[in-house]
Amino acid sequence: MSDAVLAIENYSLDYLLPQSEPLQVLQDISLSVQRGEVVGLVGESGSGKTTLGWSVMRYMAANARERSGRILLAGEDLCQMSAPQLENLRGGKLGMIFQDPGASLNPTLTLGEQITEVLIRHRGLDARQALELGIQLLSHVELKNPAAMMKRYPHQVSGGEKQRVLIATAFACEPQCLIFDEPTTALDVISSAQILALFARLREETGVASLYISHDLALVSAVADRVCVLEKGHIVEQATARTLFLSPQHAYTQKLVAAVPDPAHRLTDATPVSAQPLLSLQNINIDYGRHGLLDRLLRRENGKTRAASDVSLTVHRGEIVGVVGESGSGKSSLAKALTGLVPFSGKVDFNGYNLSGRAEMDKDYRRRVQMIFQHPDASLNPRQRIGEIIARPLRLYGLPEGENEAQAVARLLEDVRLPASFARRFPHELSGGQKQRVAIARAFAHPPELVICDEITAALDVSVQATVIELLLELRRRYGTAYLFITHDLNLVRQIAHRVAVMYRGDLLEVLPGEAMAQHASHDYTKALLAAVHTPEKAITEHL
Amino acid sequence: MRDVMKHLIRSPQGAVGLFILVVAALMVCGGAHIAPYDPESISILARYKAPSAEHWFGTDQLGRDIFSRVMVGARATIVLSLLATLMSMVTGAVIGTASAYLGGKTDEAIMRTMDAVMSIPSLLFALLIVSTLGQSSFNAVLAITIAFVPGMVRIARSVSLAARQQDYVSAAIARGEATHYIILREMLPNIVAPIIVEATIRVAFAIMLFATLSFLGLGAQPPEPEWGLMVSEARAYFFNAPWMMLIPGVAIALVAIGFNLLGDGLRDALNPRSH
Amino acid sequence: MTASYLFKRFMLVIYTLLVVSLLVFGITQLLPADAAVTLLGQNATPQALAAVRARLGLNDPAWLQYWHWLRGVLHGDFGVSMRNGLPVAPTIMAALGRSLLLAVCALLLMLVVAIPLGIWAAVRRGKLADMLVSVLSYVGISFPEFVTATLLLLLFADVWQILPATGYVPLTEDFRGGISHLILPSVTVAMILVAHVSRMVRSEMVDVLQTDYIRAAHLKGLSRRRILWRHALRNGLLPTITIVALDVGYLLGGIVVVEEIFAIPGIGRELIVAVQARDLPTIQAGVLILAATYSIVNFLADLAYVFLDKRISYA
Repeated sequence: MSDAVLAIENYSLDYLLPQSEPLQVLQDISLSVQRGEVVGLVGESGSGKTTLGWSVMRYMAANARERSGRILLAGEDLCQMSAPQLENLRGGKLGMIFQDPGASLNPTLTLGEQITEVLIRHRGLDARQALELGIQLLSHVELKNPAAMMKRYPHQVSGGEKQRVLIATAFACEPQCLIFDEPTTALDVISSAQILALFARLREETGVASLYISHDLALVSAVADRVCVLEKGHIVEQATARTLFLSPQHAYTQKLVAAVPDPAHRLTDATPVSAQPLLSLQNINIDYGRHGLLDRLLRRENGKTRAASDVSLTVHRGEIVGVVGESGSGKSSLAKALTGLVPFSGKVDFNGYNLSGRAEMDKDYRRRVQMIFQHPDASLNPRQRIGEIIARPLRLYGLPEGENEAQAVARLLEDVRLPASFARRFPHELSGGQKQRVAIARAFAHPPELVICDEITAALDVSVQATVIELLLELRRRYGTAYLFITHDLNLVRQIAHRVAVMYRGDLLEVLPGEAMAQHASHDYTKALLAAVHTPEKAITEHL
Repeated sequence: MRDVMKHLIRSPQGAVGLFILVVAALMVCGGAHIAPYDPESISILARYKAPSAEHWFGTDQLGRDIFSRVMVGARATIVLSLLATLMSMVTGAVIGTASAYLGGKTDEAIMRTMDAVMSIPSLLFALLIVSTLGQSSFNAVLAITIAFVPGMVRIARSVSLAARQQDYVSAAIARGEATHYIILREMLPNIVAPIIVEATIRVAFAIMLFATLSFLGLGAQPPEPEWGLMVSEARAYFFNAPWMMLIPGVAIALVAIGFNLLGDGLRDALNPRSH
Repeated sequence: MTASYLFKRFMLVIYTLLVVSLLVFGITQLLPADAAVTLLGQNATPQALAAVRARLGLNDPAWLQYWHWLRGVLHGDFGVSMRNGLPVAPTIMAALGRSLLLAVCALLLMLVVAIPLGIWAAVRRGKLADMLVSVLSYVGISFPEFVTATLLLLLFADVWQILPATGYVPLTEDFRGGISHLILPSVTVAMILVAHVSRMVRSEMVDVLQTDYIRAAHLKGLSRRRILWRHALRNGLLPTITIVALDVGYLLGGIVVVEEIFAIPGIGRELIVAVQARDLPTIQAGVLILAATYSIVNFLADLAYVFLDKRISYA
């Protein structure tokens, strides 16, 4: 313990609330990080992991009260330091790398200035020296043309490049300890793999001690030497990644490990899928933007963006078809087109209906094709009660036989495992997972034949995600519904989908069998994607 | 409704604003009854009297009791301003929501025109209309209403656009709900709140505008006990009787402050997520 | 493509002025009274009335009258005042000059006070200073100009006799005297603007100070001074340009009132007199010019914004 770079000893923190008991955010946290070591901190929302990160940086909320404990950096207690001493440390010996590189850079200053100011502040350089060193540092993080990069503004470079700049800034002053706050969440899978590789290299070179905070257990396991699992402010287990996955001790860890999507662990049963096509898309094109008369007269560039280009796909009765891709791949546009929210061109054949535009989507089609959205706070009208929200489709499409509205609503709530009393509540009184279940109940009010799920679990914690997926699979067993499951989570889709469509920048690259994606992948992009994603299996084998 | 009131009273702005406005409402409704004297009765002997037990706010140059005039004048100043704001709010909300829903070129044309109309400052617009139609309270109200409409259209449209882009509206469209249902039951309840907040704050501005017009001789005409007019008439006598001018002036300011505070308090109280 | 955006924006100014001219002309055409009768009085002979109507072009259809008026305006001819028979343009333009001087003084005064006040309140958010500024703002935006103007006038000119009461002295004649006459009017107009703008500045700065990039700057160990002056201000003050430009509308309204009270012979005063005398050409000219000024100020603000905010690309 004595040569640990960062040592947290019995640290406890409360938030004081105006009209109730103080909220105990962190309780008796003890962990240490040695030189050159990466300790992962994993937890779901409300676990306190982010708060712990901020506490180490001594960036506290106004109503935070430390009850006990010490935070030692190279032997000195940070909690006892004065503000000027902390200012000297931060950005120098103690640094942080943030979640959203776009939001963490000042949009009105050049990238160069945002690096050199740190060099001037902590290493006492003058402007010219700082500029030279800055360029060197940028080339060290593998940025092409560093001199030009120094003069650019944040909005002119990509997310991955911004994160490299931030990493360069953090490593610029030879830090002893770095806190990583989910640095790859805002990046696409391939960029994030590159960033993690960069970080591993830099860590080897400098021997910096790192605390890596994340909600993604599989990812942290690949990055960290040891992992601490945090539940509601307590560290419930600390072990190597391999041990955690192979033999989790604590009940919460076990639950967490079970919930992490593992492609090796298939959730859908093996019964073959009907060969009867339910929904068939042929040469679908989706365009956004206008190219009006004035634009054409002035000979301006065609402002239309092609969100989806020549997409053809078939979904069979009762089948789960996954659609994966990064943001901008067009997968969400596909969902919107199929539910008539955006116009499209091409042919859609649904169970004998022939649709070539959204005007032809009548109520019967809409009854049989339902959609669930990503953000449960946005998809439920905040001013309507839950009961009313669920009753709407019943009023539109008709009540089931022998039930009145109240009974139907109560039954639907029960189906999604929510108490019937929730019907009288407003959405803001429910948690994210509960709201999403209400959205599912709404979609199944009149059992549909196809449900389009547009990234429905992306905003949820992993354990909540697991219960929602389980619910969806059960409803499928009961009603034989097909799903078009849109997601960016490759591991999840390999667990549940019969077939997976891979999309990239509006093109449908290939459609692969869900279980054997890796074996059948032929497109380079798909292969790169599969290689970059972190799975529990990799976590176990990589650390051998 | 009851929740809204509860939250309103909890915030300091809401509480103070509500208090001021309750007092104002009392004046408006019961002013004529509370007033001890007839606001128009002239008494040569009682001129320029300072505030006293007999005349709480003193008397003016014609011996009229100022307290009574303020009480009765509340109706003229406040009610007419409320009316103007209400009319402009309804008109603006309808045009703005329709414009947002229709979208495209229609929306752009309407908004550009509203912007153009707004480039005439409100006071000047009111001056323009009053100069054409004549100087009276009614014309001043009409002028203020028309001058406020573009601003209300802007707010209504921007709020409608925000509501239109929410997923719950998309969900309703995807379900196949009828257009009128979407506008009335999905969008409107979420739009009404910000519009009411804006309208409340605008009432304060309307009061000041109306008083200014009357001050300039372009609104209420003597012997109406309108507060702005009272300030104007009292200018000449400031040395003798400063209270003649100060009291109506302060009254205007207090009511305007009340509406501003209420608007701020409502903004928090009407937002279901801030609870 | 900044150029195409600027072009579109400029076209918008033209469209705005067109709409304003239509409104101004259209509203005054609603006048029930007959302009000829107003000029000559009730007892004029029918022939005289007919002659005047013909001369003023009152028999032409409305759109033709509008067209003639517009043509005149574009040539700088605003017609002849119905009140005193003098050409409107020279009087109005001279008056405009004086009003602009007052407006610029008020604007400068407002900027010097409101912006630091807003920043100070934002930095001291939640503390006494912030609440003080907040209370003062509420009070400031609730007192109509005519009340503050009259109060200030009576206090400074009559009771304490520090400053001249009313009237106007051209700066070219007597600089110090001229300035002393401008102080009270500028302060009056500036007060309401300060209350409003400082609130907006505070609100913008509070938002900026809570952004992730300011937090990141703190965590880089930068000094508070550097964070405020180098990082925060440039982001917080950019929207201020738009806010101030929009407030110029209140400014112009305030000037009208203030010129009346302080007897400054500016365009506002001309307007009030014209309204009371139903002098249509002057009213039309005055409102059109003031609306045009407002429109141009907003255009310039948009221009400034485009050049200063690097994020905006108007493709």
